Amino acid sequence: MILLDYHNRIIEDTLKARFNPENKPKLVDMSIVDFDGVSYHISTLENQETKLLLSIRWKCWPELIQYGAESVLKREYSQWITQPEVGYDFSLLFDLENIGADPEDVIRKVSLLKRNAMAAPFERAFDAQALAEKEEQWDPTTSQLMTIHYREGESIFIQNQQDRVTVIFSTLFKEETDRIFGKVFLQEFVDARRKPHLQHAPQVIYSHREPPLEIRHLPGLEDSESMGYITFVLFPRHFVSGQVREETISRIQIFRDYLHYHIKCSKAYMHSRMRARVSDFLKVLNRAKPEHHAVEKKLASGRAFRRT
Amino acid sequence: MPAYHSAFNEATDLRSIGGMSFLPIKTKFRGPASNADPNAEDIIDEALNLFRANVLFRNFEIKGDADRVLIYLILYITECLNKLTKNPSLRDAEKTLGTLALSNFAIPGDALFPLNALYPAPANKADADLLRQYISQLRQEMGVRLPHRIYENDKPGKWWMCFHKRKFMNKSL
Amino acid sequence: MSRLAPVVIDNGTGFTKMGFAGNSDPSFIQPTVIATRDRGSAAKGPSVPSKPSFLNTSSSSNLASKRGIEDLDFYIGDEAVANSKTYALNYPIRHGQIDNWDHMERYWEQSIFKYLRCEPEDHYFLLTEPPLNAPENRENTAEIMFESFNIQGLYIAVQAVLALAASWTSNKVSEQSLTGTVIDSGDGVTHVIPVAEGYVIGSSIKSVPIAGRDLTSFVQNLLRERGESMIPAEDSMTVAQRIKEQYSYVCPDIVKEFKKYDQEGDKYFKKYDGVHSVTGQPYSVDVGFERFLAPEIFFNPEIASSDYLTPLPEVVDTVVQTSPIDVRRGLYKNIVLSGGSTMFENFGKRLQRDIKRIADARIRRSEILSGGSMRSTPMEVNVISHKFQRYAVWFGGSLLASTPEFYSYCHTKAEYDEIGPSICRHNRVFGTLG
Repeated sequence: MILLDYHNRIIEDTLKARFNPENKPKLVDMSIVDFDGVSYHISTLENQETKLLLSIRWKCWPELIQYGAESVLKREYSQWITQPEVGYDFSLLFDLENIGADPEDVIRKVSLLKRNAMAAPFERAFDAQALAEKEEQWDPTTSQLMTIHYREGESIFIQNQQDRVTVIFSTLFKEETDRIFGKVFLQEFVDARRKPHLQHAPQVIYSHREPPLEIRHLPGLEDSESMGYITFVLFPRHFVSGQVREETISRIQIFRDYLHYHIKCSKAYMHSRMRARVSDFLKVLNRAKPEHHAVEKKLASGRAFRRT
Repeated sequence: MPAYHSAFNEATDLRSIGGMSFLPIKTKFRGPASNADPNAEDIIDEALNLFRANVLFRNFEIKGDADRVLIYLILYITECLNKLTKNPSLRDAEKTLGTLALSNFAIPGDALFPLNALYPAPANKADADLLRQYISQLRQEMGVRLPHRIYENDKPGKWWMCFHKRKFMNKSL
Repeated sequence: MSRLAPVVIDNGTGFTKMGFAGNSDPSFIQPTVIATRDRGSAAKGPSVPSKPSFLNTSSSSNLASKRGIEDLDFYIGDEAVANSKTYALNYPIRHGQIDNWDHMERYWEQSIFKYLRCEPEDHYFLLTEPPLNAPENRENTAEIMFESFNIQGLYIAVQAVLALAASWTSNKVSEQSLTGTVIDSGDGVTHVIPVAEGYVIGSSIKSVPIAGRDLTSFVQNLLRERGESMIPAEDSMTVAQRIKEQYSYVCPDIVKEFKKYDQEGDKYFKKYDGVHSVTGQPYSVDVGFERFLAPEIFFNPEIASSDYLTPLPEVVDTVVQTSPIDVRRGLYKNIVLSGGSTMFENFGKRLQRDIKRIADARIRRSEILSGGSMRSTPMEVNVISHKFQRYAVWFGGSLLASTPEFYSYCHTKAEYDEIGPSICRHNRVFGTLG
């Protein structure tokens, strides 16, 4: 699998099972996680097995709210929003007897909860760019640099200009080998644009340790060997309203996980090649036999005899 | 629990020839067996009860002479079932099994008897004849009781017929 | 800092159970199978059935000869089975041991990133191993987990000990003890494993070649002998399996059971309704004696096979008797069931009755032989069944991984970087749930 899924499988499977009218309502209480430190809690209400509560907790939730996540969530999940559960940032309550006409659609939307929450700052930036484009004299200071600290030590920065939107990822490579793999991998991203059929793809810039110009002024940027910065330059054709915009948002917000996934896959691939090599070498070694000279040995009496 | 043994193994006061004890049976057919108590279960009822359980087993330890009668009856039931695979009606079944009962069969000591290793041969010709009559009596009685036991709607019940391929102790008569 | 929940993965020969600690059920239960693109069959087209890969060892599955992204083109679990016509199926685990590390590494890769969706760098992992696993295998596992996936910490637990931990939730258990006999019956093989104080007594482990698969084929045979022609040939194994899972139970005595079926047929004979997988036609199958005959194989193996004859209670008794004498009472007192094939109704009761019979007979014999001078206290035989039996090993892992001490028992990345994979050769045994 090359691209990671956008939706959460466990939520999808659980909801599919619970929404299925053939399955009797039963007690559910499970805690699961998703990429980037997201925790979910799915449970049935006390003594009410037909009511299912789904809660999410994410470190960067306040920042997302600041960038307009509330309106996005209201748009997608209005009928189920409920008071957030204790210890969680956001909750949805489902009445299993009353799902509505299209349970498939509900399941799909809910399993995209993380993606939808994260979509808010992107949508805001795209809309701001659309507005800015129409203005004759656009004042750069009006553009907002949005920062989302979604992981420990790693962040996403989004800023819109008059003709484009820039998305910058700062990511940590904990291991030396990861850094090297990452560099090679991202170099390909940068170079791929040279291919004729990829000329319309967004421009990608990768820098190691040096933060890009747009965010250099920000305080709190960690300066260490293990930091890397990846910049995507998105032009309006990349986020045309509708299917293209949705797809862009989904793909780009899972980029960091995608990158690290492929670094790990590369390591796994290296391991298989190493194992294959080792077994080949072992085969060669096993074939090796010591050289056997026909040695003439002498007995104490002086007689010689040859071992055959 | 291993295969089921006959309850009649305890009754040691009966004569036995060829290792098979001459247990009383409830029957109208003539023969050397004495008449059993009509309200009790005799060896033929026992064989019918234990058949489906025992036929699954390949090993059977003989604990007494009544066990040898049991083994013989179980093998005979399998033979009867094999004759009924064409699903004859109840009347036809009775007739077929009646013929089968009287047809030529081997007794312990004959070359064709499959279980000669476990059954001692009869001592002399008179004993052999008595044994043959006894076994014939068993076969005829079984031929009458079996169809009544297994038939439903004038066809042999599939819950019995499914065992016709199974070989008790991997042997057949 | 609120840590993210540890990940618990139980890789078995037939099925892999994976999920997060603290939950009572695994999030995914998938067959342990990986479907790869075999070079040969990809060229010829989907109609050529490809041999399972463990037969041709190094040639076609050798990644070193591949170029491009073919190593990412694979499916695991249910999706693998669904794609079995165009991909070659491989079973990386045989008899509980990992055979093919390349496939296992990729299997883990996809289970972590596609199914569980967790970043391994943020989590501790609990994996399981079969009894009598070589320490080198633990090292290989540790290498893959730390090098490829950069996990934070790893603990490799013996499956039998986890099954014992899972039994602590049963209300029959008064004290949480890690001494007991574990009967682990899955799809491929059944093991009887004595455990004393959390350590497996390796020399006394016995394996019984009867398990779920054998019961299913026995049911299939019975159905075929009875002439249930309604079942389509390609579905007969799945139908047999479903009948086994839905309707089977253990009876105390088969002759009495046959009589019950004769007398009260309506209560016992059932119907199984199925739908033909290809044509969609519904059909109905009678279910009768296989209901109690299938699990009877555990207690009387000769009804299904002619080479293996020892009934399960006897095997359990032998295992206990070959263990050191001071733990035997503890082993009898705490017999724990785990695995899908122990889920039959009344399995525990029947097993307890039979084992108690054997143990009592032995005590009586020794009393007789000693001329009545030696009296011993009767042997307490307890078979523990509990709600979580089917995934007992996974559940035990989830329980242990949710204790606060778990993090201190794990081998961390820092230790691995410092010392190397040899740290994982030994994993400390947990005390109690704390």
